[in-house]
Amino acid sequence: MAGVSATAPGMGAGAPGVRAIAPAIEVEGLGHVYPEGTRALAGVDLRIAPGEAVAIIGQNGSGKSTLVRHLNGLLRPTEGVVRVDGRATTGIRVARLAALVGLAFQDPDRQIFAGRVRAEVAFGPRNLGVRGAALDAAVADALAAVGLGDAADANPYDLGYSRRKLLAIASVLAMRTPIVVLDEPTTGQDLRGMARVRAIVRGLVAEGRTVLAVSHDMRFVAESFGRVVVMREGRIALDGTPAEVFAEAAWPLLASTYLEPPLAARVGVAGVAPPGDPSRGRSRALGRPVR
Amino acid sequence: MAGGYLVPLALVGAVLASAAAGRVLGRLLRVSALLTLPIAVSVILVSVLTRPGETVLLVVGPFDVTLEGVDFAGQTLVRLVAISTAIGLFTLTTDPRAFVLDLERRGLSPRFAFVAAATIEAVPAMVARAGVIAAAQRSRGLDTEGSLRARLRGVLPIVGPVLLSSLTEVEERSLALEVRGFGRPGRRRLLWWPPDRPLERLARWLLVVALAALVAVRILGAWPPIP
Amino acid sequence: MLELRGATYRYAGYARPVLHDVDLALRDGEIVGLVGGNESGKSTICLVASGLAPLSIGGELRGEVLIDGEATAGLAVHDLAQRVVIGFQNPATQRSGAAATVFEEVALGPMNLGLPVAETLARARRALATLRIEHLADRDPVRLSGGQGQLVAIASLLAMGPRHFILDEPTAQLDPEGSNLVVAALRDLAATGAALLVVEHKTDLLDGLCDRVAVVDGGRVVLDGPAAATLEDPRLAGWGVEPPARVRLAAALAARGLADLSELGWPA
Repeated sequence: MAGVSATAPGMGAGAPGVRAIAPAIEVEGLGHVYPEGTRALAGVDLRIAPGEAVAIIGQNGSGKSTLVRHLNGLLRPTEGVVRVDGRATTGIRVARLAALVGLAFQDPDRQIFAGRVRAEVAFGPRNLGVRGAALDAAVADALAAVGLGDAADANPYDLGYSRRKLLAIASVLAMRTPIVVLDEPTTGQDLRGMARVRAIVRGLVAEGRTVLAVSHDMRFVAESFGRVVVMREGRIALDGTPAEVFAEAAWPLLASTYLEPPLAARVGVAGVAPPGDPSRGRSRALGRPVR
Repeated sequence: MAGGYLVPLALVGAVLASAAAGRVLGRLLRVSALLTLPIAVSVILVSVLTRPGETVLLVVGPFDVTLEGVDFAGQTLVRLVAISTAIGLFTLTTDPRAFVLDLERRGLSPRFAFVAAATIEAVPAMVARAGVIAAAQRSRGLDTEGSLRARLRGVLPIVGPVLLSSLTEVEERSLALEVRGFGRPGRRRLLWWPPDRPLERLARWLLVVALAALVAVRILGAWPPIP
Repeated sequence: MLELRGATYRYAGYARPVLHDVDLALRDGEIVGLVGGNESGKSTICLVASGLAPLSIGGELRGEVLIDGEATAGLAVHDLAQRVVIGFQNPATQRSGAAATVFEEVALGPMNLGLPVAETLARARRALATLRIEHLADRDPVRLSGGQGQLVAIASLLAMGPRHFILDEPTAQLDPEGSNLVVAALRDLAATGAALLVVEHKTDLLDGLCDRVAVVDGGRVVLDGPAAATLEDPRLAGWGVEPPARVRLAAALAARGLADLSELGWPA
């Protein structure tokens, strides 16, 4: 199928002409070995154009978390180079890169420290030097985007886990970074929370921001992202649209990473569409998720 | 004066020899140096510069550096080293879990034994947690690589969540422990405790006797105190 | 069998009860799923069913909790734990922190009960064997994956000797690999004749696993029946519960007038 690269560096399945624009994120030959000797990344090449929505999937140990931590400088390459907005990250402090790349972590309880929701959200933009009316606006917009506008004066620990996770995301959104990275945004979310996370991703894409998410929720990935990067053993194993990555041809590879394509994709291949329907037999029609 | 050095130095020698036999000499020296250095520096400075004495060696501003002062500093230093190396040797050669099990076997309450054992794991767990928290805060622009003032401002956003998240976990942890019977009063039949060899028992008794003897000798004034 | 009869529970320091007149039964060898939106009372039902509410956390309980016909009120926690145990979603908080190996961790429960050494060892071995994790016996509990950690937590509970297991979102923090491990373990557990109550958001997981599913909303049990039928009930979304993928897919196909899944021989 066109666009699926099984082992080669992904050039992105974005619109034609994407090469003319400088990539938002460019990773070349990235390798990373942890201090105790484990090799987490073994030669990753990736180009993400501005405004793309990319999901990074793979089992634990595949390197997906290690990869995204290179984007804001928390981890530094052992080999290769990482470029954000055209500039190499070497030598730029994490606190400076935070103005370009907002990284929202998985566990909200490993970052919340303020007594009020408002103050927690203001922490990020304040660190970037935003003050006064601009700060208030950034905080208000972020809270509205995650649906916590009514809880601005609440104590974060009075919110349930689901809403605390949304608070953590809000605190990164308030920094208004051109690139937003979400680490497992849907784990622990209930029905309403999941809908909210999908809305957040849609909103960011509509604003033209580059969105990345690390997730093992295949339905979320298939529904909300135009491009899926599958990682395995420190390398990129597949890179394409959800329809391509979850197509039958890719199942053996996905199985080796303990991932199951969404049910819709599996059923789609059985050719459920009625006779005469041009999408019969091809996975594209039901490669799209079902609500 | 030389007499004041003999015993502490002999003790240090014995400890270091034991450390070498236990293959922890290098670590012991590092740990002792780290522990003793701050105290040593202040004690030496104070004694050397302010201790009254007769034989003046040199004059530093308003301070007279006397031989007696240097001697006092020296004797205090070797005693500090003796204490820190002895404690260091104990911690480096004793498996904390085995130690706690042995205490329980000899009558320590199981709940107390549990707290001691769990505390050992708690420290690396907290350090790991602080690492995750620091990463999250740095990703929100907290600067941990900049000026000292910037780093000080970073203390609350890192320490705060460490404490908060530990506290919020306490209830669930204690419920989980209760379900596993940790609240039950009474003794337990331990699966294992460290063996007590005759030689070790003898060594322990000798140490107790030596300790009693030394204290008695000091009290009875048979040994000259530090001038 | 474990039964809740007319359980109404109010947390200590709160004015209003969180559970209202809850009836729920758990029979030997049965796996019952419990679903509901956040704050619907699912976790409270777990605490009440396991006896920890009000025994450990206080509060006021009206109604009864019966195990094999006997009321559990008045039992000490460690006696209660030999009849019913509760597991939580975070493997890290369920680690005692006092064991150097998985075997020791699992043996801690029986040891705390003051059992003779031979009995403690036998129980630990049996628990590891039932959950098929003998190969983890010498591993450091701290260095396990999330899924393995949950299995060790469940084995530690099994070693206490209960016949009833209450599991509050056991896979919430796990990746797909870990979730699969836990689901397989729950099947193994039920096969020994134990009764399981499993709270989960992931209805896909419960779909293939449970015999019955109960739905909780606003502190009341609003639906309780065979798993397949309950998970196909159209009111689930209104109660904050996402139906399993196959139910959503069937609904979407029907809405587009496309073929019915059963014509494909798709398993129910």
